[in-house]
Amino acid sequence: MGTPASKRLFKEYRALSSDPPDGITAGPVSEDDMFVWEALIQGPEGTPFEGGVFPAELKFPRDYPLAPPTMRFMVDVWHPNVVYPNGTVCISILHPPGDDPHHYEQASERWSPIQSVEKILISVMSMLAEPNDESPANVDAARMWREKRAEYETRVRDNVRKSLGL
Amino acid sequence: MDPSFDLPDSTDWISTSLPLFESLEAALRCEVCKEFYDGPVITACSHTFCSICIRRCITNDGKCPACKQAVQADKLLPNIAIREIVNRFQVTREDALELARRDKEELRVAENGGKKRKLDDTDLEDEDVGRQTRSRTTRSSQRSNGAREPRIEIPDSEDEGDAYVPEGLVPCPLCMKAMKEVQIWTHMETDCPKAQSSAPASRSRTKSKVMNPLQRRQKNESPAPARLPQLTYALLRETQLRDKLKELGIPASGKKDLLIRRHTEWLHLWNSNCDSDQVKTKRELLKELDVWERTQGGNARVVENKVMKKDYDGKAHADTHKSQFDELIANARRERAALKKKIAEDQIEGVQPTGTEGQNPEPPHPKPPAIVEAVNPYEGNDSALAIIREKVEEANRGGNILQSLEQHTSTSDLNTEAEPKVGHRAHSISSGIANPLGSPSRKMPMFTLPEDPVVDIDATSTH
Repeated sequence: MGTPASKRLFKEYRALSSDPPDGITAGPVSEDDMFVWEALIQGPEGTPFEGGVFPAELKFPRDYPLAPPTMRFMVDVWHPNVVYPNGTVCISILHPPGDDPHHYEQASERWSPIQSVEKILISVMSMLAEPNDESPANVDAARMWREKRAEYETRVRDNVRKSLGL
Repeated sequence: MDPSFDLPDSTDWISTSLPLFESLEAALRCEVCKEFYDGPVITACSHTFCSICIRRCITNDGKCPACKQAVQADKLLPNIAIREIVNRFQVTREDALELARRDKEELRVAENGGKKRKLDDTDLEDEDVGRQTRSRTTRSSQRSNGAREPRIEIPDSEDEGDAYVPEGLVPCPLCMKAMKEVQIWTHMETDCPKAQSSAPASRSRTKSKVMNPLQRRQKNESPAPARLPQLTYALLRETQLRDKLKELGIPASGKKDLLIRRHTEWLHLWNSNCDSDQVKTKRELLKELDVWERTQGGNARVVENKVMKKDYDGKAHADTHKSQFDELIANARRERAALKKKIAEDQIEGVQPTGTEGQNPEPPHPKPPAIVEAVNPYEGNDSALAIIREKVEEANRGGNILQSLEQHTSTSDLNTEAEPKVGHRAHSISSGIANPLGSPSRKMPMFTLPEDPVVDIDATSTH
């Protein structure tokens, strides 16, 4: 405690646990270390991810909230914006401002200190529903999503079923 | 960590009878640190942040966190109105929250056991509750309309802190007497019973450090500490920068990079202190710089590495370094196998002259059930089964199955073993030793030929 980063993380944890958004749970893995969190995200309804619960790990830098955390899914997620197979999530809100060599993203979409864990997780949830195939982290998944949607959805559903042990 | 559970947060209001206060309080908190504004300043783009927060952000990327427009530290102006609102709100927060909580609690009691418990105003209350259990918002909106105002009177309030303040009035921060806001200053200067006598006591009772207005006025008269200018680090050599740090009275150790970061942080602390109405002493600022030093500055690494983290993830470590571990294990295996082979070789060489090749008169005596067991994994694989059956027959006929099997082993060994140029026999023996798991050969005497071909079938089947 004491540093601005851990204090703010603790506040976010409190706020998230007393007023959690739908389908999202998150908190530090251990209360001794505010800088590593675990999150559970429900697959959004009406998408092939529906019914799945996706555990993810968030790691925060010491100068949070000046710099964004990194996020990694702990299960297989076949998605244009998730690195396969290591699960790292690549969306604009997780990219520090000014770090965009390809100019794919608007500056306003990127990380800013007024963003929060809650907003990240909500963005990730909507990312699951609506992939951004302009700057894919998983090119194969992006191509499959664009060209063979049925195959993509089958694969995603299979992964969901596998992750639930069915 | 435990005391921090008391950290006040805007979500405290959610579980009270005034859930809408959550958004009110959230509006009074800085979006960067989520605390009440501390020395709020307004940017050129009209966004307000704590002075320290926006200064750190500007150093980080030079942009407003809310709208991403370029902002400069020297264009920041104190936002006095917000500062006053936050200070007042913090004074009343605790009491208001307590009141709203207690109110909620009473409602809950009334809802759960309204029939059993005798409340002072039971008749009215029960009807009321029955009508209003549907939604929170309905209730709170009705409440603000004054529908249930009579109940708000607290019959047995222990102290004046819980005094009810009618709408449009504010409590005097000292004696809690309700009055119009414009009257407060004259009230406190002239007829407030607590203004002179017990002002310190009342201040210590409230958690926030809002000052007695009289004191604040005096404070404002003293000249505010001057803001420190930015340095152009690129133009300064390390020694010059070190001297600057010494002049400022802050630690001057470390490399230039660290000196720059430390100086920048000191500017954050010092200049934001200038924007605050509760000016901290230099000693306090130095203490804060020390905290920074330990967490993000020069001492950060050392502290982190000193102790192993409690939740140290051994599995993850094992996973990330798997290739290295595998290599080590493989090395160890190879070395051990080589060593054993060498020993076996030496001994065989010693024994060889009296070797009994072909002097093993008893024909191999395979055990049919064991073979069936070994065959099981190949169920359905007819060609494999046929081969095995053939061999079994051959063995039963007393042929030289051993030899053919040994050839099999040695060819399979050629692919895997490091030293293929060893005699057949040495191979069959050493492979028995090197692979002791579940192999019946383990119980065999070292220098007699294995009588049981099952072992060797095993070896060929792994091929």
